[in-house]
Amino acid sequence: MTPNELGRRPLLALSLITLLLVAPHFARLDLRISLAFIAIILLRLTTLYLPRLHPGRWLLLGITLAGAALIFTLYPLLMGLPAKVALLALMLGLKLMECRRRRDLYVVVFLGYFTLSTHFLFDQGMLLVAYVCVLVIGLSGLLIEASRATSRPGWPLHSLRFAAGLTAQALPIMLVLFFLFPRIEGPLWNLGVDNSIGKTGLSDSITLGSISQLIRSRAVAFRVDFDQTIPPPRLRYWRGPVLWHSDGRRWSRGRLMEPGPVTYRSDADPVGYQVTLEPSPNDWLYALDLPETLPVGATLSADYQISAKNVRNRRYRYVASSRLAYHTGALSERQRRLGLQLPDTITPRMRALVAGWRAGTGGDAQLVSRALQFFRSEPFYYTLNPPLLGTNPVDQFLFDSRRGFCEHYATSFTLLMRLAGIPARVVTGYQGGQRNPLGNYLIVRQSDAHAWSEVWLAESGWTRIDPTAAVAPERIERSFEFDLDENADPGVPVIFASADSDLLRGMMQQFRLGLDAANASWHRWILGYSRQQQQSLLQLLGFGSLSEFKLALAMVLATAALLPLLLLLLRRRDRIRPDPVQGDYVKFCHRLARRGLVRQPHEGPRDFARRVIRQRPDLQRQVSAIVNLYIALRYGPSDDPQQRRRLHQLVRGFRA
Amino acid sequence: MRWQVPERFIRRCRGDARGGATVGAQQIYIIPTRYGLGFALLLLLIWIGSVNYANNLGFLLTFLLAGLGLVAMLHTWRNLLGLTLRPGRSDPLFKGQQARFEIQVGNPRDGERPGIRLQLAAHEAVAGDLAPRSEQRFTLSARAERRGRFSMPRCILSTRYPLGLLHAWCYLELDGEALVYPAPGPRTPATGQPSYQPSQQGDKGVGADDFVGLRSYRPGDSPRQIAWKVQAREQGLQTKQFGGDRADQLWINWGDYPGLETEARLSALCRAVLDAAERQQVFGLRLPELELKPARGDSQRHAALAALALYGEPRP
Repeated sequence: MTPNELGRRPLLALSLITLLLVAPHFARLDLRISLAFIAIILLRLTTLYLPRLHPGRWLLLGITLAGAALIFTLYPLLMGLPAKVALLALMLGLKLMECRRRRDLYVVVFLGYFTLSTHFLFDQGMLLVAYVCVLVIGLSGLLIEASRATSRPGWPLHSLRFAAGLTAQALPIMLVLFFLFPRIEGPLWNLGVDNSIGKTGLSDSITLGSISQLIRSRAVAFRVDFDQTIPPPRLRYWRGPVLWHSDGRRWSRGRLMEPGPVTYRSDADPVGYQVTLEPSPNDWLYALDLPETLPVGATLSADYQISAKNVRNRRYRYVASSRLAYHTGALSERQRRLGLQLPDTITPRMRALVAGWRAGTGGDAQLVSRALQFFRSEPFYYTLNPPLLGTNPVDQFLFDSRRGFCEHYATSFTLLMRLAGIPARVVTGYQGGQRNPLGNYLIVRQSDAHAWSEVWLAESGWTRIDPTAAVAPERIERSFEFDLDENADPGVPVIFASADSDLLRGMMQQFRLGLDAANASWHRWILGYSRQQQQSLLQLLGFGSLSEFKLALAMVLATAALLPLLLLLLRRRDRIRPDPVQGDYVKFCHRLARRGLVRQPHEGPRDFARRVIRQRPDLQRQVSAIVNLYIALRYGPSDDPQQRRRLHQLVRGFRA
Repeated sequence: MRWQVPERFIRRCRGDARGGATVGAQQIYIIPTRYGLGFALLLLLIWIGSVNYANNLGFLLTFLLAGLGLVAMLHTWRNLLGLTLRPGRSDPLFKGQQARFEIQVGNPRDGERPGIRLQLAAHEAVAGDLAPRSEQRFTLSARAERRGRFSMPRCILSTRYPLGLLHAWCYLELDGEALVYPAPGPRTPATGQPSYQPSQQGDKGVGADDFVGLRSYRPGDSPRQIAWKVQAREQGLQTKQFGGDRADQLWINWGDYPGLETEARLSALCRAVLDAAERQQVFGLRLPELELKPARGDSQRHAALAALALYGEPRP
């Protein structure tokens, strides 16, 4: 075996690590691809022990073609990230198959590092980061082991430990580079079809039941840091898409409102906050009703929706402010027309209901309260599992089933208002959110998704009306119990989290909040770190805003300063500590040397002492005492601390 | 990948008065290997991917790997720093053979230093892993192209440990020296008779021909002359003595091979010396400026060959 040829043990380790490298992708890949990959690894492991089973060049070529064919059938045109990951896994497996020499090892390890980077496209949790760190150590350990002249017997634990040390030493450099490396805002090219990764979130339309699906998800939608106090729950309406158009079943935005100068009057003080939005496939941002200052680069439409570019599928952090009480003023003709359009699913009994209300009341405001009264007094129930509704769901919900979720209430209420001639629209977004006392910020989850209604009244402009609050006021004040029962019978009313939960639940809650606080810092500092954050960090450190060039310079300098520091640490670790006896003897020789009695390299202590005494008979007593003690301590069997001290004293008292 | 630093800029690690050398901080060169360049390319790829997907964890991984590369640079450099080197002795050899230079490499540090390679200019490298606080002997060979003193050529001490991404090396100039005898020539018949001279004394039991008796063994006696049969009878170690040395005094003369060029003549003389030594003969050697008194044994053989090796070279 030439030194460039790999032995069995590195190949075994390489195969196992390769398996671990791809393992987190198994869930994302087609089962057949995963199985094929595992088969390749198993074949490799088998051939390590039975080399004659190793496929020849032609068979290997066949396997390659078969793998490529499989990938191209499963993912035509290699669309989407999973296809690319599948290709990468195939490459990794096949390279491993033909891995014989040191050069191949490097290729596999480099491919491995690359594979690690692909995991982060799918998952950004701390657990995955830990996993990736372990694999970086494993891969680097392989390189370390391969750089040795001969490998040690047994498993290369020593190399792994050294790899862990190297990784630990690389961490400060990593942090400096991470925080200072000039950020280029992506994307560099259009991501196109890769956008299709399913992420939960609101969509720009609702059908009855779409939000109640979303609400089962405990995933975080966004987190909010307020500049001052957090507003009370009843004011925490996070405005998302505004829906104008309905066909009776489905509500959608219709033609988007043009962006333009949007004004409203308000006497309330502005509330400032920063939102860290989790990746979603949408291009709108959320703000409290109604937004005032917008994030940089965002636009506000006439119905107060914020949209922004380049916010899709990434964690996005933005600053905004809102005023929580407002008057929107006059209604444009277009908005009036859109706010009164009706689907053709209106039934006579709906008309009759509204006509009854209209007859008994004076103004629009009174009619609105009459309608809310209707929802409150009739036996309506708030439930996560509404019964299935037929072809005319609104009618059926209003008069028959009467069990529904926020979107049932909001959409039917809006339709009734339009029937009564009051311009109305459905607003979707999030309501409430949980305050985390550990980080003093608000967590808004998918389970806080909500839909409400807005009506236009002459005296207050567009006015938020939440019919759900009429039926279930607890929904607005508190969030759901976390363990939503998926299999509850249809129509069972929802139980809300009560303030007096038992102790264990409280502790669990505390733990969850702690975990989320850690997660939030993780998101704020690592995942959400961007050019903006970089600039504010620099300002915090007192550097002001640096140009790209100065930033790069600062980065290089900081990194360059770290290396000598590390060197110092390493030097300290293996500084040579002479043993005290040896140290005393060296000192003794040094003192003699100053008097011209230099010990020759070939002279042992006895010969040297003899020569010293011959030249300086006056020193005989001291020199022989010291040398005899030294010989006894250094070469004799005893290692008496008392004798060692005595030698030390003798040498200290020795003057030539 | 081997890089040639221009000769005049080379910083060498030289031996001190006692011949030992210590690798200093300023004498170490370091450049990325082709794997190192590949690694840089990999980092660029991951970085571009991270920019494109605005993936901060991708950035984190890029920078962790970049940090690993930088830290590895420090460790590669430190792997050579402070190594001590002492040239060992090298056996004499004939021209055309491989000279073997020994270098004692010492690691005074408490940590191990794996992957240390030593290499003489264009020859095969020798690699080893040095345990903490240990010494290891590396033997380097180089072909002896000419007779005389063969000083150890410039030697390259290098390492790629820990990650193999960087190649650190330093140029060693140590005082090792091997003596190269002339290559033995074909057996050229000497002109004129070999001059045998009867010696004045002889037959004292140090000849090679006639058995004259046994004496008790003294340290240094050739094993070939030990009377093994006597030893087998458990009568102690006895040395056989031979007579006949009186007549066999051979003079090997420079003048015996006229018409040959210097090197060819030295080769012929070398062959004659080897033949005489083989026959356990007493021989003397006469060169134009040097005369070696007749004697026999390994030391005479070496003295004669050394005289041939150093013929024409200035005396040290």
